[in-house]
Amino acid sequence: MTGDDRMHDDAIAWAVRTNDPAFEDWEGFTAWLEADPAHARAYDAVNAGVSELVEADLPPPAQNDFEPASAPVRRPSRWLAVAASVALVAGFSYVGWRGQSQVITTEAGEVRNIALSDGTQVTLSGGSELRLARNDDRSATLERGQALFTVRHDSANPFVVHAAGQQFVDAGTVFDVALAGEAVTVAVSEGLVVANPKGRAQRIEPGQQLRVAKRSAYRLSSIATDRVGEWREGRLTFDDAPLSFVASELTRSTGIAFKAAPAVASRPISGSILVSPIRSDPAAVADLLGVTVRRDGQQWIIDRP
Amino acid sequence: MRANPSQPPDGLEACYLANRERLLRFLRARGAGEDAEDLLQELWVRISSKPTGPIASPVSYLFRAADLAMIDRFRSTQQASKRERAWAETASGAEGVSDAPSAERIVTGRQYALLAAAALDALGPRVAAVFRRHRIDGVPQRAVAEEFGVSLSTVESDLRQAYRALLTVKERIDEA
Repeated sequence: MTGDDRMHDDAIAWAVRTNDPAFEDWEGFTAWLEADPAHARAYDAVNAGVSELVEADLPPPAQNDFEPASAPVRRPSRWLAVAASVALVAGFSYVGWRGQSQVITTEAGEVRNIALSDGTQVTLSGGSELRLARNDDRSATLERGQALFTVRHDSANPFVVHAAGQQFVDAGTVFDVALAGEAVTVAVSEGLVVANPKGRAQRIEPGQQLRVAKRSAYRLSSIATDRVGEWREGRLTFDDAPLSFVASELTRSTGIAFKAAPAVASRPISGSILVSPIRSDPAAVADLLGVTVRRDGQQWIIDRP
Repeated sequence: MRANPSQPPDGLEACYLANRERLLRFLRARGAGEDAEDLLQELWVRISSKPTGPIASPVSYLFRAADLAMIDRFRSTQQASKRERAWAETASGAEGVSDAPSAERIVTGRQYALLAAAALDALGPRVAAVFRRHRIDGVPQRAVAEEFGVSLSTVESDLRQAYRALLTVKERIDEA
């Protein structure tokens, strides 16, 4: 253990103790602080870090205290949202089953983390649907949208993702699966994925992505590994993507309906877009993509400049 | 109420006066440096102007207040620098294209909470429940120990584990 680790652990121990109302040993705490000026900074960092995460979960007091009981709940407490979603995840094996599978869906603009019982983590993008089979905790089917898989690797029992009628088998892996109509694109950032091992097998290595559509040739291209799953960080990158696709991706990640006018629907777009500025100002898309944007009811229509 | 200042100071004030040096030493060690005197003065004005009920352990009460003042001070400096950083990012990312989004922007609200909850739950049901009971419901550690039928040192060790896991989450988010 390095000195820094030691200090970090001590800071955690003191923060745990001082947070209790029964704590009395201020003399001992002072002595520890006096031993090294860095101790106070470590203690502050621990307290601030933990509080930040605790507060991220607590409902804002204004909504708690002053909303009449009959008013519709505009925004459920984040903590409850977490509890509900964690309960769902934890309850995979016991409850919430319909038929032979558990279906998890996300609304547009929503992102959801799912911990599978085998230790695999799935981050489900907005407007997506993931199906998990009751008797098999080493496979998942992406029905809609996009998901990033961080798989707990087990070479004797590999994890399999089904999407658009294709099979992707991991070999120790972080990979992203995105559906677009009949086509599916799998991008790998770590490890190795094998597409359709029992058919037209194709290895996908870190920094590669494979696009597969029914009855068409594989298209293997390269992708910077840090771009894999970057949608989780609120960024979308397009490489010669038709504007119609860009519009549907924006809809899925922001929860705001975008539609490309027929005149520009097939126009190719390349570039990287941050989602959050668009969420707060949908019209900003115009400058980003060099198009015009107009509002039509609930929709934002992307049209020629 | 003390209308007459020549009256002997009440319990809390007597305690404050008797422990002033210790409190100053604490504040200095806590990182207040030369501001320790001013901080303590301000703190005392705030405490003494506010009616308080009976305080079981006045010395601890004063130290805790001093500790909380330093925690606030740290957080407000941190927030100020965060705002500056966010502004710099907004300015440089004016096109909305390129420029890595900040951690604050990426992991907001629910996502942040989900990551934290997942990290807690990964530690097992008791550790997660002990942490929530103490930090979210505000139940003192001794009472949490009784509720869960474990020793106080087990509760402390559970909390240390939970803190460590949450801080790892935060580190990961900050590095993203």
